[in-house]
Amino acid sequence: HSPTLCALFCTQDTVSKLLSSFFKEDKTKLSGDATLLMVEMLKVFVQEAAVRSQKQAESEDCDQVDIEHFEKILPQLVCGSTGSRNVFV
Amino acid sequence: MSVDTEETHQRLKAAVHYTVGRLCQKIGEDHRRPFSRQAIAAIAETTFRQCDIFAKDLEAFARHAKRSTVSVDDVKLVARRSTALSIHIQNKSDELTQEHMSLKKKTTAKRKNTETEEESRE
Repeated sequence: HSPTLCALFCTQDTVSKLLSSFFKEDKTKLSGDATLLMVEMLKVFVQEAAVRSQKQAESEDCDQVDIEHFEKILPQLVCGSTGSRNVFV
Repeated sequence: MSVDTEETHQRLKAAVHYTVGRLCQKIGEDHRRPFSRQAIAAIAETTFRQCDIFAKDLEAFARHAKRSTVSVDDVKLVARRSTALSIHIQNKSDELTQEHMSLKKKTTAKRKNTETEEESRE
């Protein structure tokens, strides 16, 4: 539960603006707590993406994580079958 | 209006890219395996697009509950598909609830103290 990572998901403000920019209706708003939880969720998303890409690169004996490694793990990260390997919808 | 949105998105995209870059740098150091610039850009782009998906879902859930403000419950719904993520979000939510409760206690205590002070001055 690293504080560095918390600071990394920039400010609550940025996440709030980011999500709000995608709402279809002007009247839709985000509660403060909902924003904090979304900061958390995005943090987990990026961490998972990065760590899984690392593992993929490792399994291929590469000394750098390249875009191909990320692309390989992307389907499991974003959608696909339910189950423990799936992280998000 | 659409020009504003475009500018806003560009700025927000840059913010996401920067944050993702820093996070990847740290994880790269932890694993002693750096990320290529392309990989970081791809992760940032995907994260940005995922926010769109999250936002639309959140809005839909709130609207379904006849609310215009997205709440913690809506966020929990978005997290429901993954057990690990649900647990993580639930824990964070419990943390927040506890913080609110302890903040309430502090504020009540402060108010009582201020009242006593004012009384003694009179």
